[in-house]
Amino acid sequence: MMRTFRGGLLIGLAIAVLVAAAAVTYELYDTRTLKRTVRRGEVYCGVNKGLPGFSIPDDKGNWTGFDVDFCRAVAAAIFDDPSKAKFVPLDANERFKELQSRKVDILSRNSTWDMSREQNFDLYFPAVAYYDGQGFMVPRSRNVDSALSLDNSKVCVQAATTTELNLADYFRANNMKYEEVKFPQLDQVLKAYDEGKCDTFTADVSQLYALRLNLSKPNDQVILPDVISKEPLAPVVRQRDDDWMMIVKWTLYAMVNAEELGVTSKNIDEALKSKKPDVMRLVGNEGSYGEDLGLSKDWAVRIIRHVGNYGEVYDRNVGEESKLHIPRGMNQLWNAGGIMYAPPIR
Amino acid sequence: MTKWRHLILSLIGASGLALSTSASLAQQPQDPGDQPGLVADDSFQADPEWQKQMVYYRTTEPPGTIIISTAERHLYLVQPGGRAMRYGIGVGRDGFQWQGLLNITKKAEWPDWTPPPEMIQRQPYLPRFMAGGPGNPLGARAMYLGTTVYRIHGTNQPWTIGTKISSGCFRLVNADVSDLYDRVPVGTKVVVRQKPEL
Repeated sequence: MMRTFRGGLLIGLAIAVLVAAAAVTYELYDTRTLKRTVRRGEVYCGVNKGLPGFSIPDDKGNWTGFDVDFCRAVAAAIFDDPSKAKFVPLDANERFKELQSRKVDILSRNSTWDMSREQNFDLYFPAVAYYDGQGFMVPRSRNVDSALSLDNSKVCVQAATTTELNLADYFRANNMKYEEVKFPQLDQVLKAYDEGKCDTFTADVSQLYALRLNLSKPNDQVILPDVISKEPLAPVVRQRDDDWMMIVKWTLYAMVNAEELGVTSKNIDEALKSKKPDVMRLVGNEGSYGEDLGLSKDWAVRIIRHVGNYGEVYDRNVGEESKLHIPRGMNQLWNAGGIMYAPPIR
Repeated sequence: MTKWRHLILSLIGASGLALSTSASLAQQPQDPGDQPGLVADDSFQADPEWQKQMVYYRTTEPPGTIIISTAERHLYLVQPGGRAMRYGIGVGRDGFQWQGLLNITKKAEWPDWTPPPEMIQRQPYLPRFMAGGPGNPLGARAMYLGTTVYRIHGTNQPWTIGTKISSGCFRLVNADVSDLYDRVPVGTKVVVRQKPEL
């Protein structure tokens, strides 16, 4: 009798130890994204399958876009080589699950940061990379320059979306009347607008600029400066890996700070000789900011040299040098008309 | 206060001139920045980036203020409600850029052009005087900035909008400069911003 009891106890204990060990390993594994990335020699990035300006592959499989460049910046910070980023196209529905199941290290996929997403999926959005929001497109000939002048308009909108709800809220709040012209698919909405069935077309501002390219006369359309909803697009990482989160967050902030300080991919070698304290800290000539991230002294130099500062990445993909021509708007630096603001590297 | 500003401005200007005088010796004799006599083709269509448009713009400056961003090559006329009318501009060549705070002291339609002595020295082929009109490099309108030689003006070369080509003036296409001219009175505050130095 005694023997069996002892045996049972031992087996039970062994199982408990094994389970505990497995749990600890799992936890440790989860907090070692940087180590895994370095061992693998590549950052795995979850991206949109095809969104002009943000992430889109060409026929040879070369990816371009704002979200893609952000991932390249992280790869550059770690490996001094922006090509060490592998892009994994993910659906809108599966994206958060795939990040959670560690299929990717970062999600850089035009994802709106909100509270429920952080809570329900155990995720963390380190910093806003792009301030998007809902806006309006109108024919240039109408000479409208404010959304408040849209009273009694026929509005083209995609049915059963947050866009439709925001539209209703905005018009109600401003005591304006409107008539919805809605369709289930976005291309149907666009077609209706192109055929002149509405006075205005509402969608997220970045979408309006992209969709405008598909209209028969893009230059006869203007996008109003008003933004009526908050769609802060941000990269996403898993909770509980603070070291990795810090790398992703400060990669973005290094790019924003670089723009503010006037450091670009073109003058980076000049910046390395600068005697301005802010610039010296950014390029690693003062302090040990890179080492403290688990990276090298010149982490930010690598980002700026290979990928560029925030403004360069914006202009190239969605701004003046791109087909989209989206004005900087809210994404301009805080001291130049916008709200893009990075805490200092100090 | 104003005297100080002017002093600082002229100092910046002077160092720019000194820089450029030595640089201009090595330059081509013909300066592409000014082509007196050339009549602008008004049908010229600029890139969307340089076309007049209302944009989101957050600032502590009151509506009616003009803010010029040299690095961006944009001129903003601040509007109420966090917005601004944005115009594409041509700005000074490197070494010919300046920053500071000034007021519009005078407005003129189809202004005459008397290139300042510094410009004549650098570009001796320029006329000493040119009457206002379609072939005049100052274009349809001019707004004088403080007591400086600098102006916000039109152009007879609309394709130079978005470039760094002038001797420190800010040029807009004629349609835009006329639009701006009608919106701003003498006394308007003009803030000129430069990109940060390393």
